[in-house]
Amino acid sequence: MDLNDIRDAFDHVAKKQKLSYSKSQDIVDQIGHEIEQALISIQLSQESQKSILTELMLKLNAIGALQQLEGSQKELNISVTKYQKLLDKLLYPDISKVYRTADYDAHVVNQILANHFYHQGLFDVGDSIMKEAGEPEATALRSLFLEMHQILEAMRVKNIQPALTWVSANREKLVQNGFNLEFRIHRLQFIELLRNGNRADALKYARTYLAPFASLQENEFQKLMGCLLYSGRVENSPYPELVSPSNWTEITEELNRQFCTLFGQSYKSPLSVAMAAGFEGLPTLLKLANVMAVKKHEWQSMKQLPVPLELGKEFHFHSIFVCPVSRDQCSEENPPMLLPCYHVLCKQSIMRLSKSSAQVFKCPYCPAVATVANCRQLYF
Amino acid sequence: MEMDSLSNGNNTTATASTPATVSPDSSAATARATPTPPPSSTGPQLTEALKLEHQFLRVPFEHYKKTIRANHRAVEKEVSAVISGVTDAASADFSPDDAVNHLNSLVSRLQGLKRKLEEGSRAENLQAQKCRARLDHLESADGENLSEWNSTRLKRILVDYMLRMSYYDTAVKLAECSNIQDLVDIDVFQEAKKVIEALQNKDVAPALAWCADNKSRLKKSKSKLEFQLRLQEFIELVRAENNMRAITYARKYLAPWGATHMKELQRVLATLAFKRDTECATYKVLFEAKQWDFLVDQFKQEFCKLYGMTMEPLLNIYLQAGLSALKTPYCYKDDCTKEDPLSQEAFRTIAMPLPYSKQHHSKLVCYITKELMDTENPPQVLPNGYVYSTKALEEMAKKNDGRITCPRTGSEYNYTELVKAYIS
Repeated sequence: MDLNDIRDAFDHVAKKQKLSYSKSQDIVDQIGHEIEQALISIQLSQESQKSILTELMLKLNAIGALQQLEGSQKELNISVTKYQKLLDKLLYPDISKVYRTADYDAHVVNQILANHFYHQGLFDVGDSIMKEAGEPEATALRSLFLEMHQILEAMRVKNIQPALTWVSANREKLVQNGFNLEFRIHRLQFIELLRNGNRADALKYARTYLAPFASLQENEFQKLMGCLLYSGRVENSPYPELVSPSNWTEITEELNRQFCTLFGQSYKSPLSVAMAAGFEGLPTLLKLANVMAVKKHEWQSMKQLPVPLELGKEFHFHSIFVCPVSRDQCSEENPPMLLPCYHVLCKQSIMRLSKSSAQVFKCPYCPAVATVANCRQLYF
Repeated sequence: MEMDSLSNGNNTTATASTPATVSPDSSAATARATPTPPPSSTGPQLTEALKLEHQFLRVPFEHYKKTIRANHRAVEKEVSAVISGVTDAASADFSPDDAVNHLNSLVSRLQGLKRKLEEGSRAENLQAQKCRARLDHLESADGENLSEWNSTRLKRILVDYMLRMSYYDTAVKLAECSNIQDLVDIDVFQEAKKVIEALQNKDVAPALAWCADNKSRLKKSKSKLEFQLRLQEFIELVRAENNMRAITYARKYLAPWGATHMKELQRVLATLAFKRDTECATYKVLFEAKQWDFLVDQFKQEFCKLYGMTMEPLLNIYLQAGLSALKTPYCYKDDCTKEDPLSQEAFRTIAMPLPYSKQHHSKLVCYITKELMDTENPPQVLPNGYVYSTKALEEMAKKNDGRITCPRTGSEYNYTELVKAYIS
């Protein structure tokens, strides 16, 4: 598809619109001119005004104003129709073709939207939708995300206090030890002091806050102390990576992640994830609908999509084993089985190959033979 | 009927299977297909994304068209009024002074028209600019800013949803704070807002005016919105026991619809006999307040149709596609990862009536690292049959002197006891 074609067609419409405008202007000017001429004639000449008016009438009729207006409008309409046809041809004219009629509880959707806005830190938008939708009270997640965004916001202006308070309060509960995170936050602050040339402050800071971590992070700690020599010019030290601004973003992101995990929330807004999957999946569905000419009621009753919608890696949340022999998706009733040659098939395929475990069978992928008894179930 | 995976331009090459580790006892072992990294040019995927944007280009264009038509009609009307003014003057017996006055009034009328023309043209150009802004936005999408472009796309879709649900303040707020005013149709919905608010206050006048404005197009699509509005007005007269006026009203406004909608016409007219407190179910519903909600819905539908919008909010369409693509039987288990939207009750509810996704190839996610297990990070089997990624197991072995603890059963093994599984 070429956007330039669309743009050209649109420029054509716009051109005709301008033309039509100047045409209208001309016509109005012409009529005005004729009337003014007649006015002068009436005031100056001796002729009877009746004949002047009749002459004016004839002149105006000769201009054919209405016909001209219509003509330019017609030309404009042609280009308008062309543009619309082009849009219909190049784009999917109706993406709701694959929509399943479903009664959505607006309440559920409103909650999803409000939580999405809170998740993104758009609190006034979230509050506004709750109000306009007449939802009785803020979702439970509001205060949670508010706390999170206050911490993240503070980090963005290099204020580590709220983050530290939160991390030390949740030290035990944080995955992959909050201790480490705490140290990394202190390290940021220490480097910040050094970067600004406050060697004395930095040293004091290190004594108070970094020293407790010294035994756990010995190497790191020594490195940081080495930096003291480069106060105000850490970028020239052997550790220039310590002053990279991306350190702040990284830790902020890490905090964001830890916060969400701790409270059982997803790091990315679930609405964003679901919609991103929709962005990738919808074109395939529309193509399918075109190819198969699927009837509306068929969409309505489908239990499984007839084709895979290939999504990016970030959307794979569950292990799905598809048996290479039967092409069936495995389930609890039909689990994946490991053959002695380490190839994997589903149980039903193995039963079929072994004629219901009556005989030895050959692996479909290698010359090895197996019996049902020496296959074992896998758990992904 | 089985179909092969249709390309959506994303992982078009993902189905090519590549041999993984060479099996010790077989050369036929092939690893499962690994998704290739996205091609450097995201061309096909982008093209597909742009093809979904019909409404995005169509709505401002309809608005533009509408402005052009309205201006044209105004010019036509004024010009023909002036011309017939001259014709009248020619046939009338004016004194010279009268003739001069008459012509002067026509001249000033023309001047007024010129001003109007200019104003109209300004409005048209503004609309044209908006159409161009949309084209520019579509053109601005490329491989580098795709994630940002997608985040704007989500916001546009959310604004569309809120406008359709009449959450105008929130829609405006979101558009403003994301600076996407040109990319959403708040101005178009202003027109709907007035009508909807009036209908909610049981006033049909603005809705009727809207029908009159768009008469030819509504007629073309065989819309019966006007008829439904008229019926409601009739019902209101009957409710007020204004029977004589109701009959006059019906003669004037309902009778013309008789040819096409006789059944409904008869049913509504019967309310004259049943009155507002009837218990007869057929007529009782006609007096219910929800009839007004129904009118609002009808109006919204006609409105969307007229502007070339999808009948469903974009949000619902994309959400359905997305949830269907994500839906697997595992999503509804208790241990579903939080990162999956379908771990949440609200999304589960919405996905309930949707079909499950289909897979032609295994996709194995490591229980420990949540990473995809593929040729680079192949799956390994513990003696108890549990499978984890090589990366996770190597890491664990390194930390614990070669010992592996199964996180799901607690059983302990030596790293040497593990075997690689061949997944094709």
